[in-house]
Amino acid sequence: MIGYVLRRLVYSVPVVLVASFVLFWAVRAAFDPLAKLRQSRDPGLVQRETERLGLDKPVPEQYALWLKEFVTGNWGVSTRTSGDVRPMIADALWPTTQLIAWALLCGVLVAGSIAVFSAVHRYSWGDHLLTGLSYIGVAMPAFWFGLILIQLLAVGPMQYVDTDEPFLYFIGLHSPGESGFNLDYVRHLVLPVLTLTIALVASWSRYGRAAMLDSLSSDYIRTARAKGVRRRRIIWNHAARNALAPFVTVVALDAALLFGGLVVTEQIFSIPGMGRLFLDSLQAGDVYVLIPWMMIVAVAVVACNLIADLSYAVLDPRVRLR
Amino acid sequence: MSTTRNTNRSRLLAAVLGLVLLGTLGCTGGGSTANSQDPVADVPVRDGGEVVIGAEQEPACADWLSTCAGSIWGDWLMRRPTIPVTFDIRKDGDDWVAVPSDLLTGEPEVESTDKGMTITYSINPDAVWSDGEPITSTDFAYTAEQIRDGDNIFDKSGYDTITEVATPDPKTAVVHLDQQYANWRMLFSNTYGVLPAHLLEGKDRTATMRDGYSFSGGPWIIESWKRGTSVTLVPNENYWGDKPHLDKVTFTFIPDTAAAFQALKSGQVDALYPTPQLNAMSQIEAGLPGINSQVDPQSGNLEALWINNDAFPFDSEAVRRAATYSIDRDALVDRIYGAVDVEDPAQSFLSPLVSAYASDSFDQYELDLDEAASLMEEDGWSKGSDGIWEKDGRQASFVIHSLAGNKRRDLMLQILQQQFADAGFDVSIETTTPADLFTKVAPAGDFQMGLWTLVDYFPEPTLDQPFGSANIPTKTNGYSGINFGRVSIDELDPLLDETETELDVDKRIETTKAADKVIADSAASIPIVGIPNILLWNEKVGGTVSINPAEGPFWNLEAWGLAEQ
Repeated sequence: MIGYVLRRLVYSVPVVLVASFVLFWAVRAAFDPLAKLRQSRDPGLVQRETERLGLDKPVPEQYALWLKEFVTGNWGVSTRTSGDVRPMIADALWPTTQLIAWALLCGVLVAGSIAVFSAVHRYSWGDHLLTGLSYIGVAMPAFWFGLILIQLLAVGPMQYVDTDEPFLYFIGLHSPGESGFNLDYVRHLVLPVLTLTIALVASWSRYGRAAMLDSLSSDYIRTARAKGVRRRRIIWNHAARNALAPFVTVVALDAALLFGGLVVTEQIFSIPGMGRLFLDSLQAGDVYVLIPWMMIVAVAVVACNLIADLSYAVLDPRVRLR
Repeated sequence: MSTTRNTNRSRLLAAVLGLVLLGTLGCTGGGSTANSQDPVADVPVRDGGEVVIGAEQEPACADWLSTCAGSIWGDWLMRRPTIPVTFDIRKDGDDWVAVPSDLLTGEPEVESTDKGMTITYSINPDAVWSDGEPITSTDFAYTAEQIRDGDNIFDKSGYDTITEVATPDPKTAVVHLDQQYANWRMLFSNTYGVLPAHLLEGKDRTATMRDGYSFSGGPWIIESWKRGTSVTLVPNENYWGDKPHLDKVTFTFIPDTAAAFQALKSGQVDALYPTPQLNAMSQIEAGLPGINSQVDPQSGNLEALWINNDAFPFDSEAVRRAATYSIDRDALVDRIYGAVDVEDPAQSFLSPLVSAYASDSFDQYELDLDEAASLMEEDGWSKGSDGIWEKDGRQASFVIHSLAGNKRRDLMLQILQQQFADAGFDVSIETTTPADLFTKVAPAGDFQMGLWTLVDYFPEPTLDQPFGSANIPTKTNGYSGINFGRVSIDELDPLLDETETELDVDKRIETTKAADKVIADSAASIPIVGIPNILLWNEKVGGTVSINPAEGPFWNLEAWGLAEQ
């Protein structure tokens, strides 16, 4: 297993390098890093910056220069803020990491529970209801769902209850002056996490249900039933455990895609994470932020793929990796 | 005068970013327009407490001299409350004028000579920085040199004419310019102010100020700036003027307009200054329970159709005039802004903020398809079988360039497209990013017609920048200047030059109005509307609340407070 992990890590290096070059080329082709500076109407300054940043060189040469600086920790200076890019991304990663962690936790728990319930009560009214809801969840755009949640759970109650502040907040992860893990944080977290997980729960619960049904119809489950093993034990200890492998694989692969959902969710809930940073940088054509941002996503995708493969091997003893 | 010298930062900012930046003045609650001279609200307040305000944009940096400080929200949130300026913009009758601020003891002495002009500022003896150090002439000299000689400076207009800032004593600054500069009141005012030399001299100014700074020469001091989250202001205990009533003001960043409105409705924020998008206007029209509002059409924002006078088919004055007669600007403005009671189109290329200088020359153009047809026919055009004007085998087809993502502007473009089609023009729409439009397409003249907004926030005329022939961007001048329309009218340039250098206000008004009329007569471009500004606040907020078109909605934040119950 360790050898497999090391090999996969080594194989990932050229993948990430190729991805980084494609990203660099695409971003450089699409944006002018000096667009903002050109507003100063000082051709001399623009020329000096062009030479200083090596923008007059061919793209492969620019890429080589950038990569050298990137791996040594110098991620450049944002053209939007004039600040160092690395701390900007580090600051944005923390709220995003929190959101992703909570979304994964809640998504897995809720989707897993729905999957087990639906499979065990196949074709019941509850199963049909959850199936219908999952289709709605998959089809519903995150931004629309977020706004509906805000109206229903934060703004709406204010109109009926005599209170000066909403029960659930929808701006940022803390109120001004608050910090840390406390009730204020939870009240801020509920709506964005719900928004982020709705589509994931809907799709994961379908995968989980199918995996659970496969598992429940297996020979060893029939054997266990014939041996008189208690129903609860069959469901949770045998069927659910074996259904976990394909389920976790899907979760791991989808985890990287959370970045896409974050762009919308962080915008709606004014959370200063990676999604907001991406949007702000995109609008400003800030290539020195966009390129490392995309690199982080690329690395996350590769890492999640690796985790998916590993989790499959760990959870299903029939699978061996080499 | 060179193009760069004449380029007012506010105009440049607007042209380059094409953003609808706000600032204005007054009206009523509930969205109806009223005289903006009077404060909309003047509710008794108690001392203490905190107010949270939703901010639509976050500034990229707080080094106000640098190109990274382009967002007007940076001005409103941090610069204006903390950086002292020489002139405030205040209402005088129907006009907004620059009056000496409490940084000075009075109006500066201005001496004009053949070699240029000299401005002598007398600094208020009580004026001090937040650390107790006096504000001195050295601060003026430091600021001027930073702008004049610095790299990465957003705009050097006026400062590049400074030859010397003499400091005969700590409270007297004598600024020498090498030419007449009519807009001299903008120096150490407008978007820059005066910076503390004793704290910045010899240091990397950008590094010190970029992420917020701990000094202040205004009523507030920046307590914190949490990137992506909020800016918090607290009172500057050493401020020599009126002290704030509130203990704290927090600006929380809410880039999504819909979420911002919900936050105001639910009480998460106490005030908003939203961009006048369609959803904002419809919500105000529908009524916001418990929310006061001020909608003010007297803004510094002028939305216009900018015509490339060098590009077919608009290289013909007849076609430009015909196009102007082809659109119903009254209907356009009513449909877009009727919800907030803005009904009249702009009749000048000067925004409502500088209305003292504006003529109403464009009122000669109303929807008149017969007049449009007559002009086209006189110019040798005839309508083809598809109803489109043709001449020499070419159709009267053109593209309107604009910025993507602005719903209000999208609707305006669609209406314009229909109106032009009815008049026999074939119009298509192309939208792009501000960076693309204002650093590539427009400076290179790669457009026929464009829709974007210019913003003024200093009450001085600036027709020279978009219409003076010296300000046409070319390869030779490094694409400097914002006369993107390549307007070059022989009788216009002398009038614009006179406007830039004439120190007598009455004469400047006269020449500016004359220039405005020349622009209208040749239909060099088409003004559409002065975009209104909107301020919303809940009943928790008291004090004197009103929009200032030049200084933004928070110009008198120290007068805000928690309303007495």
